[in-house]
Amino acid sequence: MTTIDRVAAVTSKELLLEWRGRQTATAMGMVALLVILFLGVVLGSEPARAPAVLWVAMGFATVLGIPRLTQAEVEQQALETLLLYPGSREHIYWGKFLALVVMLTALLAFLWALVGVLFNIPIWTHLPALIGIGVLGVIGLAAIGTLLAGVVLHVRARELLMPLLLLPLALPVVLGCVRLTEAALAGRGEGMWLVVLGVFGLTALLVCPILFEVVMEEP
Amino acid sequence: MRGQTFLGAIALGLLAAGAYVGLVASPPDAFQGEYVRIMYAHVPNAWVAYVAFAITCVASALYLAKRTPVYDYIAHSATELGVVFTGLALVTGSIWGRPVWGTWWTWDARLVTTAVLFFIYLGALLVRGLADDPRRGARLAAVVSIVGFLDVPVIHYSVVWFRTLHQPASLTRGDIKIAPPMLAALLLGLLAFTVLFAYLLTLRIRLARAEDAGEAA
Repeated sequence: MTTIDRVAAVTSKELLLEWRGRQTATAMGMVALLVILFLGVVLGSEPARAPAVLWVAMGFATVLGIPRLTQAEVEQQALETLLLYPGSREHIYWGKFLALVVMLTALLAFLWALVGVLFNIPIWTHLPALIGIGVLGVIGLAAIGTLLAGVVLHVRARELLMPLLLLPLALPVVLGCVRLTEAALAGRGEGMWLVVLGVFGLTALLVCPILFEVVMEEP
Repeated sequence: MRGQTFLGAIALGLLAAGAYVGLVASPPDAFQGEYVRIMYAHVPNAWVAYVAFAITCVASALYLAKRTPVYDYIAHSATELGVVFTGLALVTGSIWGRPVWGTWWTWDARLVTTAVLFFIYLGALLVRGLADDPRRGARLAAVVSIVGFLDVPVIHYSVVWFRTLHQPASLTRGDIKIAPPMLAALLLGLLAFTVLFAYLLTLRIRLARAEDAGEAA
């Protein structure tokens, strides 16, 4: 088994589990939907508000989705089996990371369609820029989120702890994506924020897999 | 034990001296009047908070590398004290901001970064407390602390840039020229709080060690 095989095995396992129940995707979609609805009603649906509303909704949906990423390991005591498989534990990180990336990307696409309609935004004309921003944002959220999914694996009140852990750490991602989206919709470039998101994503992807191995050790 | 009590006595003396210089011996500020005296408590508070988090990060990294319990005692103690002093820095800053800036709170980068830092380390403490095994709790708290510390510069600059598009940096603190008695009050405050922090840290580390020994027995 090569590294890629191992990673692909974990990813497909996570996605298969999710596909069978589709609970996490539904819950994430519903929360994001409600956040958008609430903020839309409260703030009004001027197009200028859309980037902030969208990425705040993404942030809260991610908070909800991350603990589910290790739910099967908790509920069915599948962790021991998963850890017994040969190879380093970094593979588990990358596998779960890719599964989270797929889920967040699907969620983001769904939310963009919704926000485009509700806030009257011409998505198609800005599609390449929005896809680029989406990739950076989803990678940032997923990189830190996968590590935190491992952190709360053996912690009580995992769902309650997640907002406190993820939202402060992921603040730069949300801020950067909001500003980049605003700039893209206005037809401007924002090199500085690309650097911020790039640095965040790169640092997270370098540090988190290493720390993930520490997180996954038995007590 | 003797050394610790001695350190505590020094901290007490320095705090008394700092309070005297800050409240009585130094003049009121030309612009801020008597309110400037809040600075002599606020700046040292914030300084100690950042020192505490730097110590937490280093001790956490050492703990993960060497797995010697003493590094975990240090990290745990420094996190707790860091949360306390960050909370105090936020409160004193707010009290100072009200008369000087005319507002309790502003979305200034330093304020937001400090508040975010407060939550990150609160999260680290909670993870430690809620973990099912103390050793696992120590490891998870170390992981959160390290990630949090690496994240701080990114958070700071992202808040700076996020806000600068809206409002220019109209709020710059303090004057470049500072009268010698005021500088003395500030430096004395910094020294006093640093020694106080060192004293509390040694005290808390001793407690962590005793707790651990008590659990093992």
